Amino acid sequence: MRGSKQIQQLARQFFALSLVDGRLSAERVTGVLQYLEKHPPAQPLAVLKAYQRLVALEFAKGQAVVEHAGPVTEAVLKSIEGAMSQRYHRPVTSVAKARPDLLAGLRIRVGDDVYESSVSSQLASLSL
Amino acid sequence: MNLLLAATDASSKLQNLQSQFGIEGKYLLMQVISFSILAFVLYRFFFKPVLATVDERNKKIEEGLKYAEDTKAQLASAQEQSAAIIKQAQVEATKLIEEARKTAKEFTERETAAATERANALITKAQQAIDLEHKKMLDQARGEIARLVVATTQRVLAKELTDAERNRYNEAAARELTVV
Repeated sequence: MRGSKQIQQLARQFFALSLVDGRLSAERVTGVLQYLEKHPPAQPLAVLKAYQRLVALEFAKGQAVVEHAGPVTEAVLKSIEGAMSQRYHRPVTSVAKARPDLLAGLRIRVGDDVYESSVSSQLASLSL
Repeated sequence: MNLLLAATDASSKLQNLQSQFGIEGKYLLMQVISFSILAFVLYRFFFKPVLATVDERNKKIEEGLKYAEDTKAQLASAQEQSAAIIKQAQVEATKLIEEARKTAKEFTERETAAATERANALITKAQQAIDLEHKKMLDQARGEIARLVVATTQRVLAKELTDAERNRYNEAAARELTVV
């Protein structure tokens, strides 16, 4: 595993270059990828994987995946975006994802955090 | 004169008598001497040792009787002592038996109490185990019933909830989750 630490360090340096005011910038990410294409490091695939993981984690922190059963209105999604942006002190966008097994209600994922208020979770708590 | 005649007559009669029986003075004297010699010899060599032996025997018998008396007295004393010892031994034995009985009774009572305590502890433990098992069974039954109820409810809700109801629930959930 020699070089693994150096790969992580290089990926973190590229990731730091991808941020503008602490937020992920699409332009910077594009620039980093172009640089890597022109000047590939010793182990380009490993570096790209590590960089992609960091970008995905950061991207997930700015995205609220709203899992729902039944219809969910645009106003609800907007209210969720506003509340999460306020909670995490950064812009958070919402993405709706249908989950009929929730029966009714919502489950919101922001990064590693999960917020849930659904019929299935309440029924599951009853059966414990 | 008469007397003299009478004495003479008597003397003649005596001489007649002596002559009739063959008694003669010198033979009589010889016999007396030989008898005396025989008597002396017998006394000296026969009767005296015999008498000495008899005396010794008598002495021994007396000593034996005395010894027997002493022995009898000692025996009586020994019997008295043995009776006293036996009586004392009986008293001590009675005392020991009483103490043994008392100790045995105390031991039995103590063992009985300990056994009762152990039995009660076992009963309590068994009761606790039964209660625990009963509670566990009830919990399992309750959990299974709850699982069945939840599964049934999920199936029913999945079929019965309308979009409008889901929408209302989603809006309520959004309000709950977006409270900062």
